[in-house]
Amino acid sequence: MTEDDGKNQGVDLGEFLEFYLLDSQEQIEKLGAGLLQLEKEGGNIGLINDLFRSAHSLKGASGTMGFTPIVAMTHAAEDLLDRLRQGKIDVSLEMIDILLAVTDRVKAMLAQVEQRLEITLGYEDLVSSMKALVSSQIPAAPVTPQLVTKNQKVVDNDFVPLNFSLDPSESAKLNNAQIMGYSVYQVDVKLAPNTLMKAVRAVMATQRLERMGTVIKLFPSIEELETGNLEGFSFLVLCDEPVEEIKRELLEISELSDVVAHLYPDGIGGGEERAKDTKNAVEKPVLELDPKLDLKPSPKPSPKPGLKPDLESDLKPDPKLDLKSDLKSDPKLDLSLNVVTAENTFKPVPTKKAVFESKGAASESVIPTEGAANGEGNTQVHTIRVDTARMDNLINLVGEMVITRTRLVQIGLDLKTQYQTDNMVNSLNEANVYLGRLMNDLQESVMRLRMVAIGTVFSRFPRLVRDLAKKTGKEIELVLKGEDTELDKTVVEVIGDPLMHLIRNSVDHGIESPKERRAAGKTELGTVTLDAYHEGNHIAILISDDGAGLPLEKIRNIAVSKGLIGEKEELSERDIANLIFLPGFSTADKVTDISGRGVGMDVVKKALNNLGGMVDIATRQGQGTTFTIRLPLTLAIIQALLVEVGEEIYAVPLSSVLETLLVNRTDIKTVGGLPMVQLRGNTLPLISLQEKFGLPAPEIVSNEVFVVVVGFGDKALGLIVDELRGQQEVVIKSLGDFLNNLPGIAGATILGDGKVTLILDIGSLIQDVLVMRKN
Amino acid sequence: MAEDQLVTFSLGSEEFGVDIMRVQEIIRIPPITRVPKAPIYVEGVINLRGNVIPVVSLRTRFGMTRVEETDLSRIVVLQVQNKVFGIRVDAVTEVLRIDSEAIEPPPPVALGMDSQFIRGVGKIGERLLILLDLDHIMGGETSHDVSA
Repeated sequence: MTEDDGKNQGVDLGEFLEFYLLDSQEQIEKLGAGLLQLEKEGGNIGLINDLFRSAHSLKGASGTMGFTPIVAMTHAAEDLLDRLRQGKIDVSLEMIDILLAVTDRVKAMLAQVEQRLEITLGYEDLVSSMKALVSSQIPAAPVTPQLVTKNQKVVDNDFVPLNFSLDPSESAKLNNAQIMGYSVYQVDVKLAPNTLMKAVRAVMATQRLERMGTVIKLFPSIEELETGNLEGFSFLVLCDEPVEEIKRELLEISELSDVVAHLYPDGIGGGEERAKDTKNAVEKPVLELDPKLDLKPSPKPSPKPGLKPDLESDLKPDPKLDLKSDLKSDPKLDLSLNVVTAENTFKPVPTKKAVFESKGAASESVIPTEGAANGEGNTQVHTIRVDTARMDNLINLVGEMVITRTRLVQIGLDLKTQYQTDNMVNSLNEANVYLGRLMNDLQESVMRLRMVAIGTVFSRFPRLVRDLAKKTGKEIELVLKGEDTELDKTVVEVIGDPLMHLIRNSVDHGIESPKERRAAGKTELGTVTLDAYHEGNHIAILISDDGAGLPLEKIRNIAVSKGLIGEKEELSERDIANLIFLPGFSTADKVTDISGRGVGMDVVKKALNNLGGMVDIATRQGQGTTFTIRLPLTLAIIQALLVEVGEEIYAVPLSSVLETLLVNRTDIKTVGGLPMVQLRGNTLPLISLQEKFGLPAPEIVSNEVFVVVVGFGDKALGLIVDELRGQQEVVIKSLGDFLNNLPGIAGATILGDGKVTLILDIGSLIQDVLVMRKN
Repeated sequence: MAEDQLVTFSLGSEEFGVDIMRVQEIIRIPPITRVPKAPIYVEGVINLRGNVIPVVSLRTRFGMTRVEETDLSRIVVLQVQNKVFGIRVDAVTEVLRIDSEAIEPPPPVALGMDSQFIRGVGKIGERLLILLDLDHIMGGETSHDVSA
């Protein structure tokens, strides 16, 4: 253990930091979105409860990780929301603003945490303004949260708190929880007389409690329950559920005859009182409670054959165990039973303690994290988070399997030609066909793993629009549609910024001020709509506003005055609208900090082009403007045209292929040392890939060659190739650190036969030719 | 006594050794895709279970003449500074241990090849092993490329 760990109550940060960050960021997003909804809808109790829960789990998780500034802020926010929940205060604009500021501050703090920095941002200002909100409006009300008051009634006189002999990290957790306002219960469970397998009951009870809160300690330990003839056991639990709920939940386990829960008083079981009982003190430094954790890695000795039926019959009577459809807890339950059985069978296991101890530290820090992630009675989440690297690996493996399958098929066909009528060959080929179907399904499923709903990107915009609208004094509503539309993670990651820019533009330039809108006979509330849907192999994203529309005349004049177009040039409305994507164009009369320094739209267009996407504008005077973005569903897979040059095969991204031609060699003229061909009255510069890449010249020169006409922006170029192999979907792979940035090569892909093929970088090839022409 | 465990392989008549901890695997020569404009010693790229990795021809890197592929030709896949690449060798001979004391620094005029690739020379009985310094096989100094 390092000093760092000590600071954080013995929790090993590194391993869980990632989970914490992901979870917290999610909660913060939820909070932010919920607050905006709250602002719109007012006191919706379900919503407030959701917000409260988000704040609460954020607080819990942060407390576990030892980030006190976040705890302090979320605690105050929680208080405020609790007030709101009880109807003691009303939603006010001021409150929303403060709470939003809290989410921003927490986000900033999380960013510091992510960079492994100390949290340096202050929080006192926000906490005090929240406190002011809480107290100013209801000075008479006591500050203690409702839950505690309710629970205090439960503490009766003849209840004697048990000394759980906590170790330092456990008591730190307890103190922390008590400070943070969690209710801590001592739950005493009595077993029915002659209960078999008491440890199993304890494990089951632990799991049920873990669903409602966090179990700090079980007393006596599982081992003692296993061996001793005890009539019951006690838990120390952090939980915000009412006592009745705990009782009800536990009594569902068979053979538990009685459950009593008491509020556990502060200051007991803390470090100073720790372990007076010598028996407990020698027992072990860490008590293993979380069965999911220690059981998996521990070796599973096979139980004696005779014991198994016994165990099963013993378990059957519990209807919950059999019927419960709760996916999350079931497998774990099975596992734990398994091992308890094992322990039963081999009673004195000398290594057991060592295993338990070594796992102790890890599991201990997981308990609270888990509690925060799925505790607090949140709805069950049926998703898991997976490292993308693992997913990419899976995709690679599936790709390899596809290649191996093609080889199998080839072998099957070869065998067939050799031993025509043999039944074995036929069975092999049948199996191959079936395997092929499975492989197709598998490949499709794996690719779908990468798909993410675009809602994750959209969700950050309501806040943006709200703030921008406030700043500009406009009234704007953002309508989100098609949030479920899925697209590849790679696209989702990069689409945010261009979208943000377009939305800013719509808010700043598109929507008019309320006064102007009234004058135009429109409602004062402007609407910006964000919509997404699938369109063949592409995704379309629409950003539309019901504002004034683009001032086409003005755009034209500016373009002329900046020399971007000629004065007499004939342009359609659409062409004029698209002028705003030219570099160095800005129509805003004055520069605002929201948008408009003349670096906006061309950057957006460039970013989208880099993603293989396009953007188009439709505008109608006085009725609004719609930007339509079309993007490929994934950046990992592209359509490519495979071409042959000598013996090599190259892939040309189909998005940049304009057309292919068959050209007679005699038509190729040389202008200034560079080959050209006449194409519909224009000269098209050519390059020979064979010369460009220094490939050996073919022995037989044919009279005709194929030319692949590629375009990038408004430049076009013809690539001379020997053969066209057809188009194919290819998965883009990097050439790695050693070989990236090679001129003319964008990456590599692996073809069906397992061979690596290079993907051409059309942009850089065209650039090269332009440079050559200048020289 | 400190020991080094080495994978040894041959190029022509000379024998070389690399630290076994750097060796990820040894494979037969798959189809190699030539990469235009890559450094001359990069023979191309191969598909290693779905990953594209570069392959260095050690013969070219060390300025030796090229030879035809034989049954014994192998690619030794190495992991150096978290980067994976392969080196093509004539044959992989064995895996052996060598006392650290039996390793001598490279002679100033190194065996007819650039000394930047050599970590030392190991003696096992009558045999001489050239221990490679893998950090410079990929990238590293380019002076050699120019002269090569």
